[in-house]
Amino acid sequence: MRSPDVIAERRTPLRPLLMKELRGILNGRALWTMLLIMCPIVGFSFFQALSLYGEASASASDQAALASGLSPLDGIFVPTFGAFYVTVTLLFPFVAIRALGREKETGTLRLLVQLPYRTRTLIIAKAAAVAGAWLIALIPAVSALLLWRMLGGHLHALETLNLLLGHLLYGLLIGAVALFAAAITESAATAAIVTLAVTIGSWILDFALAGQPGLAEWVSRLSLTQTLRPFEQGQFSLGLVLGTLAAIVGLAELATLWLHSGVVVRAKLVRSLACAAITGALVLLVAQLRTSIDVTEDRRNSFPAADQRALAALREPLVITVHLAPEDPRYVDLRRNVLSKLERVLPDVTIRLVASQSFIGRSGDDSYGEVEYAYAGRTDKSRSTSHREILPLLYGLAQMPLPTPIAGEDYPGYPLVANAALVLPWFFGALPLLIALAWWLSRRAPGISVANLPRR
Amino acid sequence: MTLAAAMADPFVERAPPLLRVAGLAKRYGEQHALAGISFDVHAGEVLGLIGPNGAGKTTLLEALAGLIPVDAGELMWRGAPSTSAERRDVLFYLPDGLRPWDDELVLRVLAFFATVHGRTQHEVAETIDSVGLAPVLRKRVHTLSKGFARRLMLALALLTPQPLLLMDEPFDGFDLRQTRDVMALIRRVAASGRTLVLAIHQLGDAERVCDRFVLLADGAVRGTGTLDQLRAQTKLQSASLESASLEDVFLALT
Repeated sequence: MRSPDVIAERRTPLRPLLMKELRGILNGRALWTMLLIMCPIVGFSFFQALSLYGEASASASDQAALASGLSPLDGIFVPTFGAFYVTVTLLFPFVAIRALGREKETGTLRLLVQLPYRTRTLIIAKAAAVAGAWLIALIPAVSALLLWRMLGGHLHALETLNLLLGHLLYGLLIGAVALFAAAITESAATAAIVTLAVTIGSWILDFALAGQPGLAEWVSRLSLTQTLRPFEQGQFSLGLVLGTLAAIVGLAELATLWLHSGVVVRAKLVRSLACAAITGALVLLVAQLRTSIDVTEDRRNSFPAADQRALAALREPLVITVHLAPEDPRYVDLRRNVLSKLERVLPDVTIRLVASQSFIGRSGDDSYGEVEYAYAGRTDKSRSTSHREILPLLYGLAQMPLPTPIAGEDYPGYPLVANAALVLPWFFGALPLLIALAWWLSRRAPGISVANLPRR
Repeated sequence: MTLAAAMADPFVERAPPLLRVAGLAKRYGEQHALAGISFDVHAGEVLGLIGPNGAGKTTLLEALAGLIPVDAGELMWRGAPSTSAERRDVLFYLPDGLRPWDDELVLRVLAFFATVHGRTQHEVAETIDSVGLAPVLRKRVHTLSKGFARRLMLALALLTPQPLLLMDEPFDGFDLRQTRDVMALIRRVAASGRTLVLAIHQLGDAERVCDRFVLLADGAVRGTGTLDQLRAQTKLQSASLESASLEDVFLALT
């Protein structure tokens, strides 16, 4: 036995800790069960999307205008990953909680915190294992993408990667909530209740409050589901990415604070409040970033290319005064069709919402519904929500000619009538069998011995 | 020189103890789990924390390991004040009744500890041999019997490099022969220079393996010292206790 001495500060290898955390998740039933449940859910969703896309494609086979409306992102990927999202929301918390909850419940955490790792390192290792588990959980959805390619489907790399990034951030956010819940509760069951209260509560916020006026609308934006929406619409929003990352780091830091042993609860509460305040401030700060990139192949979040170039040349500030309530469907249309696109392309644009009250009962207000555009000392008004009427108005204010449309820039659309015969057998038979086999292999005791351990 | 003689040596008395516990107090609501606990731990000794269930032994060990906050008191390591974070480098606490990472293979748990602490293959093999874990290396921890689970914990403690080991009920779950083997192992560990603090409620076991004792009852220290020193404290009360066992002494002092 090695002669004892006070241990000097030394570098402790991270790899064994990371491997232990990942094995801890693989050893549990939660991940494998989630994968097995995910197969038919994702598979059926993919199958349905494929069928509907095929029907639409059949009608559009000889009409270019209809074909241009067929985008695999909307038709296939968003619904397929929508099923993945539902499973991640409901089941991934159980996988993530295991990373910490099991050690807490069995008392093993008392050994872990005595190892020569900082508490923050322990949480980072657990978060890395949760991210690894998310990657494994992606298998059914990724297999759907591969099947789509095998069936001859089109896949635009950038918009697909952007969608995957959105789901990764959402998965990590759920994982961070679960780790925090596991850190503040004594049992995995309680942690699961806390996490599901947050995730399902998010859905309620989303369904019940979205479209409501005032504070309710603002509260609905706190829903975790909102994280995913811009990615599904093919937008890469820097503010959203950084804000979500800040929230993930903040939750991980809160979990770290509550894992510190030997600290009284009052001190943990004070530190947690400070951490939450800093995280909240960071999220609000980065939410101000307006950098947003349209990554879709059909450029649905942008004006036509000729207009984009012409508008990018406008250097003066544009002020838009909207006489609409935020919950008014016309404002929703205006924002989607015009305002958000203008925000992306113009260097200096200010949008003012004048009507802050509900639009119900505003029939007596003549100016309600008007949108005023002010540019370079000139103003004009419109009630339209279409870019086809508003852009010429803006060119008029800027005293510039209408741009000439660029030929050949139209999105062709990717209709596909695929034979989906293989899809259901794969998701309901072959893939679950492969997953069950991998589970069984992971449970077998490998041929390891002391001789396999590192020599030093 | 025996340890008991060394304890009486004026030089040892002047040297700072390895760990000094002074006025440690811990309350759960209105209940005093630890009420001003003070004692010293000397290098190379096996110190027994003796007391019935509920005496505060586990709370005391967890407080020493820095796993729970204390309300008052100070801990000095080799004469210098020591924070709970600093103590992590010098002492390791082995909780009672734990099955660490119960879904994992025994060898994987050992390998994890060995790699983290930079142990060699030879050291791991020696540890496995010393605690008799060889038959269960490829079993999962949750399938181990109570005795083997206890041996695994002992092996993990031996793989750690900290000079002071705190063990909660180290003989619980062992039969008579196994208890004797583990006692012999603990003595060898102490002989190699490590210091051990053992929380034991079986007084017979404690008497056989410990050099000195801290008697605890209701969260308070009722006596400290070697068995002879404890007998001397009780002699004031009754001459019949001159050759008394630890059990008799404990009953007399608590």
